Amino acid sequence: MRIVRFVVRRLLQLIPVLLGVVVLTFLLVRVLPGDPIRTILGPNATPEDAAAARARYGLDQPIVKQFLDYLGGLVTGDLGTSIQSGTSVGAEIGLRIGPTFELVVLALAVALVVAVLLGVWSARHADRAGDHGVRLTALVGNSMPEFWLGLVLILVGYSVLGWFPAPSGRVDPDTNLTPLTGADLLDAALTLNGPAFGSALAHLILPVATLSIVVVAPLLRSVRASALEVLHSEPYVAATAHGLRGRTLLRGYLLRATLARLPSLAALVFGTSIGSTVLVEYVFSWQGFGQWALRGLLYRDYPVVQASVLVIAFCYVVVFLIADVAQAVLDPRVQI
Amino acid sequence: MSETVVVGAARVGRFATVLIVTGSAILAVVALAAIFAPLFTGWGPTEIDPLGTLVPPGPGHPLGTDANGMDVWSRLLYAGRLDLGIAVAGVAVAVVAGTALGLVAGYLGGWVDDVLMRVVDIFQAFPTFILALAVAALVGNGTGNLIAVIAAVNAPAYARLVRAEVRTVRESAFVAASVTSGASTSGVLWRHVLPNSLTPVRVIAPLNAGWAMLTLAGLSFLGLGVTVPAAEWGAMISLGSPDVVAGRWWTSVPPGLVLLICVLGFSLLGEGLQERAEAKRR
Amino acid sequence: MSPVDPDLLSIEHLSVVIRRPGREVAALSDVSLRVGRGEVVGLVGESGGGKSMVARSIVGLLPGGSHATGAVRFEGDDVLRMDDDALRRHRGHGAAICFQNPRGALSPTRTVGRQLTDRLTTHQRLTEAEARRAAEEQFAAVGIRSPRRRLGAYPHELSGGMAQRVMISLATGCAPGLLIADEPTTGLDVTLTREILRRFRHAADTDGRGVLLISHDLASIADVCDRVVVLYAGTVVESGPAARVLGRPAHPYTRALLRSVPDVDGRAVVATPGAMPLLKAAPHDCPFAPRCAHATAECTAERPPVSRVPGAADDWTLACFHPRTDELAFAEPAETPGRATAAERAVLEVDDAHVVYRSRFGKGGHAALRGVSLRVAAGETLGVVGESGCGKSTLAKLLLGLVSPARGDVRVAGSRMSDLRGGELRRLRTRVQMVFQDPIGSLSPRRTVADAIAEPLRALGLPAARRAERVEAVADRLKIDRSMLARRPHELSGGQAQRVCVARALAGEPDVLVFDEPTSALDVTVQAQILEVIADVVRDPARGSVFISHDLATVRGFADRVIVLYLGRIVEEGPVDEVFGNPRHPYTRALLSSAPSLGDGFSGPKVTLTEDLDDTDAAAPGCPLAARCPFADDRCRTEEQELRPYGNTRAACRRVPEIPDLLKGSDIRV
Repeated sequence: MRIVRFVVRRLLQLIPVLLGVVVLTFLLVRVLPGDPIRTILGPNATPEDAAAARARYGLDQPIVKQFLDYLGGLVTGDLGTSIQSGTSVGAEIGLRIGPTFELVVLALAVALVVAVLLGVWSARHADRAGDHGVRLTALVGNSMPEFWLGLVLILVGYSVLGWFPAPSGRVDPDTNLTPLTGADLLDAALTLNGPAFGSALAHLILPVATLSIVVVAPLLRSVRASALEVLHSEPYVAATAHGLRGRTLLRGYLLRATLARLPSLAALVFGTSIGSTVLVEYVFSWQGFGQWALRGLLYRDYPVVQASVLVIAFCYVVVFLIADVAQAVLDPRVQI
Repeated sequence: MSETVVVGAARVGRFATVLIVTGSAILAVVALAAIFAPLFTGWGPTEIDPLGTLVPPGPGHPLGTDANGMDVWSRLLYAGRLDLGIAVAGVAVAVVAGTALGLVAGYLGGWVDDVLMRVVDIFQAFPTFILALAVAALVGNGTGNLIAVIAAVNAPAYARLVRAEVRTVRESAFVAASVTSGASTSGVLWRHVLPNSLTPVRVIAPLNAGWAMLTLAGLSFLGLGVTVPAAEWGAMISLGSPDVVAGRWWTSVPPGLVLLICVLGFSLLGEGLQERAEAKRR
Repeated sequence: MSPVDPDLLSIEHLSVVIRRPGREVAALSDVSLRVGRGEVVGLVGESGGGKSMVARSIVGLLPGGSHATGAVRFEGDDVLRMDDDALRRHRGHGAAICFQNPRGALSPTRTVGRQLTDRLTTHQRLTEAEARRAAEEQFAAVGIRSPRRRLGAYPHELSGGMAQRVMISLATGCAPGLLIADEPTTGLDVTLTREILRRFRHAADTDGRGVLLISHDLASIADVCDRVVVLYAGTVVESGPAARVLGRPAHPYTRALLRSVPDVDGRAVVATPGAMPLLKAAPHDCPFAPRCAHATAECTAERPPVSRVPGAADDWTLACFHPRTDELAFAEPAETPGRATAAERAVLEVDDAHVVYRSRFGKGGHAALRGVSLRVAAGETLGVVGESGCGKSTLAKLLLGLVSPARGDVRVAGSRMSDLRGGELRRLRTRVQMVFQDPIGSLSPRRTVADAIAEPLRALGLPAARRAERVEAVADRLKIDRSMLARRPHELSGGQAQRVCVARALAGEPDVLVFDEPTSALDVTVQAQILEVIADVVRDPARGSVFISHDLATVRGFADRVIVLYLGRIVEEGPVDEVFGNPRHPYTRALLSSAPSLGDGFSGPKVTLTEDLDDTDAAAPGCPLAARCPFADDRCRTEEQELRPYGNTRAACRRVPEIPDLLKGSDIRV
């Protein structure tokens, strides 16, 4: 019950931050050099055409009026209409967010498991060769340009070995997958479409691998540092000095204490992964949310930029909220 | 006398030294190669070989040429100037600005703290790279602008870091001792709080410089940072990316590898410093 | 088992050298000691003497880089050479440690009940259900109220005393043959200290466990131990029956240690110069020789062998060529100057001050001081005593202007702090200077000693050349070596750092000096040295001093007047000899009664307060002590108590005239 109250309170506290984000992006996109109308009309448009287009998108209104209209739309759940495609921004997000979510969730899940297992192992073998190896690997991962890593995986996995499909699209169109959520692997599983499942999985492996490698590295370092701190901490030494069994020590005195220190750091790493997602989607032509938002930004598509910034900010703060709840669950000292 | 029992010898510090030395050496090599690039190549960074584009590595071009017919090896060397220069300058600006803000917010507290931290909150409601994308799109892509982008997206983190540290230091007995000795606020800040609040900054800054290079390269890769024909690793990878599907590795793999190694230099240095700081704390 | 029943624990010629890159420390050099079943052995000495290293060697937890020779025999088996399995069985079940800082040593993410059942299932082979029942009994046995509920508590929810009880139950829950208690009473109030120590005696007497009690606090453990072993620089200097070693010690170091301990009976401490050396290799001479008044050429040429004290029983041994057999001489009690009279210039006045700490959110708050008034004249020293949480530290902050009173005034040399701002306030601040509890922490880590001492001078706007002059003058006065002025705090020992802090406080010639527990973080012989420095400094007739301490004995040494604080109120105030010799308030009497003492201690009739309740409601009407006071009646519980004069002193208790009679009754408990 306390947790529910905490979550509600925190969500309410988000409103001013998100409102700040809305105001800021609204103003910023309008001072961006570049003009959305120019980009859709092309170089041969007359000033009259431009003015007509401007009026169609409400861009001839005073800025305060534009903002109030936008805000009014937000309250009713209307995110506006894309200047580029002329379709509803809300509908486009619905179409694009599923694939991105699938990619991110899978990558984070893989990264979390690997980071915890390897990090704790590394800390328990601190300052031996294995530990040094793990640390150096993590440092390399930490220094990895994800877009380049994606290219190298494509080079090796597709161009040289031919094991994986070409980096365009998320599923083979011949498999006739019925889209439900937009997350192809999930849709394939839900519609019991075996060939589509296989194809979606094959398409997923390289981007998931790319994303999880760059996410696992900082996470692994944090887990190792945290576990090492616990191993040197007084409570752990005390438990060792009282002769507790290795299993009891690991489960009761090391794991939870290690993880209790991590949620906020993990949230930060996950947040960073949103940035990496844009690049990874670009490299693999994933046609997800990140690529869509990027194009919006490049073409100065105001409603798209505003909406995508809002969605990203919202995801980011929600991740931190989840982290705080996880922290409270793991660490009894944290009051919420 | 009975035999001696030896408990696992502590090797604290040796690995840290290895990390610091290796990291510094990598950075030194990359920096020197960039500065003295003309000594290692006959081609200019934007010089076009009229004889061919996408020439595979061979005698004339040790790493071949790219789609514009420019020598990859020579561009690889020259690119270090922009990459290192922008990242280091950007982080330096971020450190100075962030530290100043954090110091003021943390020590004064009250509404100054509230206002500054809310601004930081809004900045930090975005992943760094997304923020960099947005700001880069806003200010355009000159060298000075890119330094500003790197500084703007990183400064909030320093502000927060320093503020947290300042708030701890502010409560310490030696600050109380200084205040009760009649020292002025600026005196306390400058002489006691600041020097004792910088330890985490010193550790983070090198790591941050590495990430800043990745940010810069990422921006260039998407066309929002340095643009071809200027020599920059991210832009080179971008130019070479279509070749990958065709199995042409030399236009994109080498610049990425060099970028990776250079960032790794920063990471090794930062990790070593961190380990040393922790060893001191124990 | 071996044919002859060996001692429970027998450490034989144990030497430990810790080798790390660039550093080598001889932590223990040829240490031998034994602990029998049912015996309580005290391991005493100052920090750096090797006490903790002995404890760690017994459970096979020597730090990385240790090179150990000799043997640590536990029931005949050598702990140093056990394999992993044997060691795991030995730890906990053979010997279990109660850690020094129980709150830090309990795992924060596991309930204390689970932590105890972990031990019970490991070492006593109980099932989970049996373990839970046993755990409840264990908790009850160490004096935890409502044990069933406490089993589900997390460590951060426990008070310090409660955490120490849990720690003891964890150690005894392993059913060890030997219980090792590492400074088990650090940070606990005197009443709790006695109770916790009694639990260890109990473990030896009823369960037949051996107990190794490690402590720097000689007075507290004196009557709990059967035998005492004194360590100095990693060597055993003296060992024998507690009453003998602590009553009439033969080794000059033990004697120096004992004479450094202040006592409530008012005897003056005798300081021994110098500090314990940090040895790089096992010594080839007597490590105490440089500080010893009796040292001869022999002492520096050869390490004295362990031998029997002349004319004593077998088990009293020492390592000294010149054992002392005469009575331990103490200096006469320092005469209380009594120079100050009310007519003299008041340098510090506090009038009806209330300090409230607001809680961070919403209304309410916690009143740390409630109507405190005091006055310090030039040349006078005021002692402030009380247990933790009584408002001592808040009072110190109030005097320095670090917190402002919600009501009431603080006047320094006639000026009110709250009236001033900016530069004037800063100049007034230089008139009151404080010496803090943690000497190293109160020096800025990145500033030199000279810089630190010059701090108040800088505030006064002195030019650099004059500052340097002044710094050297103050350093000379406090016998700080000029070469030390360029050092930074981490290069100083605790004693040196505290000297620097005193010098900093003195540099600006303030009107008032405030000492906030200035010696509680220091080792005993160093404490004696600093007390000597402070005694010298407060003698200045131009200056008033306030000396705050939880340790009544140190206050008695040189305060002229003393006030006793309880829950933010002054409960008694008067001349020091009067308050310590004839306490009027029951609380003062109780404090004195429970004060540990190696000498005569408090000579009057003693009282004990009932245990402090976790939730003492300071805001309840009536006397705040009523719930714990053996003399409280119904009027005490409803009537606010004011300070009223009784002879030379004033006390906030209406029953003072009746107390002598009440004390003759049967309700006196010790």
